[in-house]
Amino acid sequence: MAIIVLYTVYSALPFAWVGTLSLRSTSEISAAHFAWPEVWHWEKFRVAWVDSHFASYFWNSTLVVSAAVAIVTLLGAAAAHGLARYDFPGNRLIYFILFSSIVFPPQILLISLFQVLVGYNLYNSLIGLTLVYVSLQLPLTVYLLEGFFARIPQDLFDAAKIDRYSELAIFFRIVLPVGMPAIATTVILNFIQLWNEFLFAVVLISDDESSTLPVGIRHFMGDYFQDIGMLATGMMIAVLPVVIVYAFFSERLIQGMTAGAVK
Amino acid sequence: MFLAPALLVYAGLTAYPVLRTIHDSFFTIADMDAATFVGFDHFQEVFRDPTFWAAARNTAIWSLLAPLLDVVTGLLLALCLYARVPYARFLRVAWFTPVLLSYVVVGILWVWIYDYDWGIVNVALRALGLGAWAQAWLSDPRLALGAVMLTHLWKWAGFNMVVCLAALHSLPSEVLEAAELDNCGWFAKLVYVIVPMLRPTLVNLFVLAFIGKMKVFDLVFIMTDGGPLWATETVSTYVYKRAFNWNTFDLGYPSAIAVVWFVVVVAFVLLFNRLLQQKERLEY
Repeated sequence: MAIIVLYTVYSALPFAWVGTLSLRSTSEISAAHFAWPEVWHWEKFRVAWVDSHFASYFWNSTLVVSAAVAIVTLLGAAAAHGLARYDFPGNRLIYFILFSSIVFPPQILLISLFQVLVGYNLYNSLIGLTLVYVSLQLPLTVYLLEGFFARIPQDLFDAAKIDRYSELAIFFRIVLPVGMPAIATTVILNFIQLWNEFLFAVVLISDDESSTLPVGIRHFMGDYFQDIGMLATGMMIAVLPVVIVYAFFSERLIQGMTAGAVK
Repeated sequence: MFLAPALLVYAGLTAYPVLRTIHDSFFTIADMDAATFVGFDHFQEVFRDPTFWAAARNTAIWSLLAPLLDVVTGLLLALCLYARVPYARFLRVAWFTPVLLSYVVVGILWVWIYDYDWGIVNVALRALGLGAWAQAWLSDPRLALGAVMLTHLWKWAGFNMVVCLAALHSLPSEVLEAAELDNCGWFAKLVYVIVPMLRPTLVNLFVLAFIGKMKVFDLVFIMTDGGPLWATETVSTYVYKRAFNWNTFDLGYPSAIAVVWFVVVVAFVLLFNRLLQQKERLEY
């Protein structure tokens, strides 16, 4: 029992502590690092949003992540459908090649992606980062969706053929609606992973104006290392969307995370 | 064809960059347009580079120790929840939340926690009268790697927990009840019934964690930037530094490191696959 309490302290207290820091001013924090907020400085969120660049980081993140998730979901679903439903030579080979890139260490892509994006004038651009994010999440998306799509009963497709649905209509009017639970799971999983992505963002974006939240926080930390209170507020801004998504879709999210690992 | 767009993205942004990195590793690329062919020079240099070996050693320690800790902690936490301790719903959320935080947030937070003057670790030690044990956790070369590893465990234990919990719930309850009837102690039940039945999941988690640790970058980059004295340098941070931070202006050499590490990771994954398949065959 004591161990459970201790572990909970270890696991939950640090984040709760940042929560209190985000509501206290830096001078209050320097006076006492571990105190309950006496005055709740909610205005710090407005200050972080308006006076520093957190609003622009936030919108950059939102833009890149939502575009990337939308594209990767559509491309991934199409590919998963193709792999799950059509029997053609090389089917398993393509699946294996896509899937194996999940284990690639990122450095093998990092340097040459930098060169490629510079070559196409997409370095420092949100479009470039979006494309890279699509390619990063594609294998996982195809892997999760293929497993689900393969279990859709063939009868549905036979019935659709009798009703003279075209191949595209089958995809949009049968596969996507029936596969919605799995698609929702991948959307949530991809959203959280990309929202938190740091390595590629820091290499492929150097302008402060185009930075996503993780990189922006890092910039802010470089410039105002001492301003612990404001940094904590910025961290909370970065974390809140993920926590909200988790609050509403925790079951789906956990399903997605466990789908790959439970056998 | 439904596959075409995905394959196009894959070819352009995954397959081509991998091949290009392999190609680059045979060249010295001082600026974007001028590359000089140097054959295997970079590879010879990599194996003579003491910093690479330090980074490889740290990454190896991390990849071998941490997955065990992750999986064991995750399994124990899952067992607590499975045994329906009070407040299980609250505890599950409290234990899982760190998984959701980005490495940047986690890194900054733990830099504060380890702060020498006011970090909670040292403050707590001093309050307990153990002030002599207070340490500069992240600037002591002997402690830094362990401190960063502990932070990584903090983030990932919750993930292992939910996976173990899902696996526990899918176990046939008859077996556990039978063990109960046989008056099996909880420890014996854990070792002889639960662990063997969860073995495929646990092994999977171990391999996933192992691959993850081989790639560790973000946390080190934020918390220590590989310091002090390369005590926490990992292969990923070293490649990043050589490519983008050092004034060596050569993208070829870091590419060579990346290729070496790529081969190492793929070799390990293949090795695990082989080992696991053999065991699986033995079992059935």
